[in-house]
Amino acid sequence: MKRMKRRELIFKVITYTLIFLLLFPLVVLVVWSFTKNWPWPNIIPREFGLRGIKYVFGPSSKSLKILLFSLWLSSVVTIVTLLISIPAAKALGVYDFKGRRIFKMLVLAPVIVPSVAVSMGIHVTFIRLGLANTFLGVVLVHLIPCIPYGIRILTNVFEIIGESMEMQARVLGANPVKAFLYITLPLISPGLVSAGSLIFIVSFSQYFLTFLIGGGKIITFPMLMFPYIQSGDRMMASMYSVVFIVSSLIFLVIMEKTVKTYYKAENYFYI
Amino acid sequence: MYKWLKPYVLLLPAMMVILGIFIFGLAMGLIQSFGYFPVVGLNKITLKYYREVLTDKTFLSSLGFSFYISLISSIMSVVIGVLLAYSIVQSESKKGIEKVIYKLPIIVPHAVAALLVYNILSQSGILARILYSFGIIGDQSEFPSLIFDKKGIGVILAYIWKAIPFTTMVVYTVLSNINDRLLEVALNLGADRRQVFWYVLLPLIMPSIFSCFIIIFAFSFGAFEVPYLLGPTSPKALPVKAYIEYNNPDLTHRPYSMVINMSLTFISVILVWLYHKSFKLISRYDG
Amino acid sequence: MSKLELKNISKRFDGKSVLKDVSLVVNEGEMISLLGPSGCGKTTTLKIIAGLVEPDSGDILLDGESILDVPVEKRGTVIVFQDYLLFPHMTVEENIGFGLKMAKVDKAKRVKRVREMIDLVQLTGHEKKYPGELSGGQKQRVAVARALAVEPRVLLLDEPFSNLDARLRESMREFVCDLQRKLGITTILVTHDREEALMTSNKVAVMLEGSIEQFGTPEQIYKKPASLDIANFFGEKNYIEGTIENGMFKCKIGKFKANHNISSKVKAMIRPEEVELFPKSADTGVLGKVKRKKFAGDRIYYTILVNDTEIRCITKSEKDFKIGETVAAKIDFGNVVFF
Repeated sequence: MKRMKRRELIFKVITYTLIFLLLFPLVVLVVWSFTKNWPWPNIIPREFGLRGIKYVFGPSSKSLKILLFSLWLSSVVTIVTLLISIPAAKALGVYDFKGRRIFKMLVLAPVIVPSVAVSMGIHVTFIRLGLANTFLGVVLVHLIPCIPYGIRILTNVFEIIGESMEMQARVLGANPVKAFLYITLPLISPGLVSAGSLIFIVSFSQYFLTFLIGGGKIITFPMLMFPYIQSGDRMMASMYSVVFIVSSLIFLVIMEKTVKTYYKAENYFYI
Repeated sequence: MYKWLKPYVLLLPAMMVILGIFIFGLAMGLIQSFGYFPVVGLNKITLKYYREVLTDKTFLSSLGFSFYISLISSIMSVVIGVLLAYSIVQSESKKGIEKVIYKLPIIVPHAVAALLVYNILSQSGILARILYSFGIIGDQSEFPSLIFDKKGIGVILAYIWKAIPFTTMVVYTVLSNINDRLLEVALNLGADRRQVFWYVLLPLIMPSIFSCFIIIFAFSFGAFEVPYLLGPTSPKALPVKAYIEYNNPDLTHRPYSMVINMSLTFISVILVWLYHKSFKLISRYDG
Repeated sequence: MSKLELKNISKRFDGKSVLKDVSLVVNEGEMISLLGPSGCGKTTTLKIIAGLVEPDSGDILLDGESILDVPVEKRGTVIVFQDYLLFPHMTVEENIGFGLKMAKVDKAKRVKRVREMIDLVQLTGHEKKYPGELSGGQKQRVAVARALAVEPRVLLLDEPFSNLDARLRESMREFVCDLQRKLGITTILVTHDREEALMTSNKVAVMLEGSIEQFGTPEQIYKKPASLDIANFFGEKNYIEGTIENGMFKCKIGKFKANHNISSKVKAMIRPEEVELFPKSADTGVLGKVKRKKFAGDRIYYTILVNDTEIRCITKSEKDFKIGETVAAKIDFGNVVFF
């Protein structure tokens, strides 16, 4: 009995140490973002201040507008990616067909193949098609790193639920659209939340693709943040980072809550 | 009635994006890397650029640097990630806050990860300050330069910080899905705790570990932000080098950057193949 | 090969008593069954013996020595689980050799032993297969071989046959029993199948709600169940209330001679197979009317109404009576148990 306790204690210590090491940098980040004056070699700032947050949300600042635009762009990317991923994932997860393995490899490949190479290759074509420096162009190029996550997570979900539920609905008289809306969609909704969250994160954090294809015309929040990090302005860079992290957290929580309440209401209504 | 067509129709939208942007982009890069770029008057297909780039010393040292960074980052992330996942499973507490909170770095973009490392490891960073207050170093300049350094420590740490939670999340899910009774059987047949880990748990999570390894390796090999923000001026990581070549105002210089891109792509295609293999292993265990 | 003793083992889970004062002796080389309905604590008992669960009180002795403080991996009490639990990432060979590898037995010896085991359970040709590629019966044999390979002091079988289909179950049962007899391993078989328990074991322990209600030979258990609950567990019975006076049992359907001398109110348990039916003309037993009849191939299940009392009986299918027909039911009171 005693030996068990000690084992557990050792693993608790490892767990908390590692989690501390992962979270400590974020704590430092938050402290920096509210710092006014933090000279060497003080361990805590000499003076705290709100200059950062005032600057970011101040009336003369475009940051808030860009933040909202960024959230909007990534929401569009998330929805489009999900719309593309759902049918593809169903095909890969439920059906057995010729070339399935190759298709699977193709849709997962963008996780591995650097998007730097893809975007530089496609750039000239996008310029020629008038897609460069446009909202549509940026959304399209964001799909590339996002699609693998959407398809992979939803494929797993479809592999688990299979087609039998939908078939049962069809047998009971539902047409394909209704079977999808009332049966498949609620069943995959947890998968949609996790896929959607991941897609959103990937798109929202994207710097290089937006920078190259947006050509400075389409400005997202990471692009606003990047120069501060690059120049080593720790206070401003930290503030922007904190705003970035907090807004993605809020957005993800809202997304999860919305889907959950929607489907609970749905269930309540129909049962 | 055309039932066999159904999966292909369902895949059509995804394929349009994948083929139309992803594959097409790579193909354009490939063509340009062979020196065919009519817009700026390059019409001849040639291996000249490959020959030049692949024998260039700075390219080779960049390649080596990228490879080194990716290898160290992915090994460290996987080892620590597995350790964390296993520890969480072993110290299962009821509240389970640790099951959520470690995931926080996943939503933090790589540029911010670079900032975090800068905040902590630069010569005026928090670590230097702590060491100073304990009297271990007497001045900022005594603190070793861990960022912009040739060993790429800052870059590696930024990648590890981002990748540990990812590995932990994947491995934790697999670990908690392994039938606990399989472990009881192993104990019952005479395996001690350590043997259970090495002979039963580790082989069962190995395919997932492997696929994490590949993803982390590929990402740190092909990503631009972190080495751009934290890397040394020389050698430069490959994606940074490709971007600098790309930005050259002389457009006839483009093929050089495309050759670098194709090298990145070539190596990652090999990784895709390995990644795919890891999936096959996973499915065999499920059988 | 060892003698196993359980002494007053008790266990509670979340305040619920799962095992109450369980005591049991299994002699060297014996095979006993732990029989009971699901949820009665059988599997917990096995896990306690194996050391996977710690008892709250009581002791376990192996050859007279307490093994409570011996960790799981050193006990040598190996369980074969109902769902086999083969390691999915190991081949048949590797699964069977697992325990030996853990004990750091050197490779040459290990290979030889695995070979023997594969021959013993007749799996030659399947050595390199993964569990996913085996049938249920094959998996079962790998699980048994894996347990036997480590030469356990006690073999614990946890419902090992219940996942197999009827035909396979019978042949596997025979196979494992033969093996047990051949190797003479002290064995406990946990089962909820009455027939299985009676057929396979030297002794049967009937477990109900966490305690052992009766422990004896299959004949004792079947013929002289210690309580109504045990009797019920062995199948549908007829119970007739009445009184015994001067060696005669008096009840609603008549007066019979009883091999029982206490004068009191009793319940007589009559097994359906101990009631014989004859045509009315046979002039024996008591008269009754056929109320229900169920044809079951080699047998027929009848329900006979005798003076408003239903009596169930089983006959061979040659004894064919119609519903409503009056028949003579002869009850063999020699084997009747009174409670």
